[in-house]
Amino acid sequence: MSNRVYNILFHTHTISGIIISAALYVIFFAGSFSFFRDEIVGWERNEPVSEASRLQAVDLDIMLDTLAAQKELYGRDISFTKYFNERRINVNLSASKDTTASEEAKKRSFFYMDTDNFSTYTYASNYSIGEFLYRLHFFAQLNLWGTTGYILAGFVAFFFLFAIITGVLVHWKKIVSNFYVFRPMASLKNIWTDAHTALGIIGLPYQFVYAVTGACLIIGTSVMSPAVVNFMYDGDTNQLYEDFGFNPPKFKMANEHLLETPEINQFLEKATSKWEGFEVTTLQVFNYGDANMKVGLEGHTQYDLKFAGRGEIIYNVLTGDEEHVVNPFTETSYLDAATAVITQLHFGDYGGVPLKVIYFILGIVSCFVIISGVMIWLVARDKKHIAEKKRKFNAWLVWIYLAACLSLFPVTALTFVLVKVFLHDFGPERMTDIYHIFFYSWLAFAAFFVFKRDNYFTNKYSLISGALIGLLVPLANGIISGNWPWITFPAGYYHIFIIDVFWVLISITALTIGLSLKRKAAEKSPVKIRTNKSNVNKDVGADTLSVGDL
Amino acid sequence: MPANKKYLSTSNTQRFAKITAGFFGGYAVTVTLFMAIGFWLDHVNVLTTLRFGGFMLWATLFLLAFLFKNGWKAWGVYLLATVFFSAIIYISKIYHPII
Repeated sequence: MSNRVYNILFHTHTISGIIISAALYVIFFAGSFSFFRDEIVGWERNEPVSEASRLQAVDLDIMLDTLAAQKELYGRDISFTKYFNERRINVNLSASKDTTASEEAKKRSFFYMDTDNFSTYTYASNYSIGEFLYRLHFFAQLNLWGTTGYILAGFVAFFFLFAIITGVLVHWKKIVSNFYVFRPMASLKNIWTDAHTALGIIGLPYQFVYAVTGACLIIGTSVMSPAVVNFMYDGDTNQLYEDFGFNPPKFKMANEHLLETPEINQFLEKATSKWEGFEVTTLQVFNYGDANMKVGLEGHTQYDLKFAGRGEIIYNVLTGDEEHVVNPFTETSYLDAATAVITQLHFGDYGGVPLKVIYFILGIVSCFVIISGVMIWLVARDKKHIAEKKRKFNAWLVWIYLAACLSLFPVTALTFVLVKVFLHDFGPERMTDIYHIFFYSWLAFAAFFVFKRDNYFTNKYSLISGALIGLLVPLANGIISGNWPWITFPAGYYHIFIIDVFWVLISITALTIGLSLKRKAAEKSPVKIRTNKSNVNKDVGADTLSVGDL
Repeated sequence: MPANKKYLSTSNTQRFAKITAGFFGGYAVTVTLFMAIGFWLDHVNVLTTLRFGGFMLWATLFLLAFLFKNGWKAWGVYLLATVFFSAIIYISKIYHPII
């Protein structure tokens, strides 16, 4: 690689990296916690689920009876979906297609329903820390105009991909040799560089997968489809949806009431016994109570039997015949396989808790790669020949970046504690309350750390405060709910147990690291500059990545 | 350690040309290429690939735009490629339509 190409790539890597760094940190941090979204939800609501909770274990007939007692169901399409491993499932009621139906029955509705006690919740009252962190992960809270938050998250993922490609190319020649280089006693810049490159290479496959699947999942359709709809489909969006199977099947009403509505559970049983290892995720009833009533089931293969297998059956309820079948084990189309692979790789839901733990660690490692990148950027520009004004700007930028990013840890821990202690109602204000707890404490922590203007302090005390608050998480849970770890484990409430233990482990880790941090380097610093609140302002000499090396 | 400035474009118009060529031009090349292929292979599969593979190609084209000495040349190349693929789309729509 010529010097010119090397320097250009290096520069684009630096600039794209520094622009997305803070946003990407939030994405990785919130995303890492989101691997445990379902466990967090079970912990927060004190609603444990067994490890193998599935839609086929739910008694849908009782749920339908409960619904029928509250609402007129005739002529509606009703779907039950289990997206997450939690006790409440999504219920969607379409408007009744019966032209003579009452006004009430012509309203569609969506809610969550508890599969144990059948209480229902709206989106806001069903809100949870798990859902909050999951949505923060793709900036849903920034959807202030249309889907601006998603678009932002998507482009951060895209520029992340760009930074990965340029980063690998820049590092290419030293990929092997530098992998073994770690100089903890060297200058700060060497430490940051070694950490950035070594951890970057270890996490490379993981990060590449996340950049691509992330961009694809959040903006793949919205960014790529407009041109396709206009020029390939002549504006016929419906045809595109048809081709990609986005349109749900539609069945005409016979307009003939059934005297007795057949049981739905039998179709769940039929479908699961048809294919061994088929997991139903959605059951949809079409034309409820009508002579032309159908039941459609959708699901996937158990991941250890087949990684990407989407299956589907539609039954005629009266005759019991299968009207449409997609065998998940033998008929997986490229479209279904690609979608399944992308989603599963991104959600990390195919290997149980151990895989989630590995994914979590790699996610936090990526956070570290981001931060060390920012630190290299700062340290490399903190030199005498750089104008004082620029150095000040850089120092401020990093104080703010670190304060905003690193305070996420104590803030998340605090949110767990406060929600557990104070938010026991599942009322409509639950969502707003969680927003307030999280965002105000984030503002307070970040403002405090920015005010201190000391990266060493921010680093050390965000870890220590997060660890101390984090240790309160299992305590708060034990005191409020009585579900101490020694009770939840024997009882098999693994969701609750996992979150308590998880907080204890990361708190101990953070505390150990936080307490062992020493402001060693700063004191040895040969060069003091005016912005010397920062602990990373030395070492004019050693240039590990300088052009001369190549 | 920052990249050596001697190799970087210093003029703002050049920077503007390279960034826009990579971002918008790269996007146009990516989407038109996939569409042009989509008329001749199974279009559902090609468009599915566009959803994830498109980002990889786009990021690569974005990167390549910076390697041009003259950013407007990058624009020229990307526009030519876009026009070429668009012509294929235009002709394919007449002789080999998908809908």
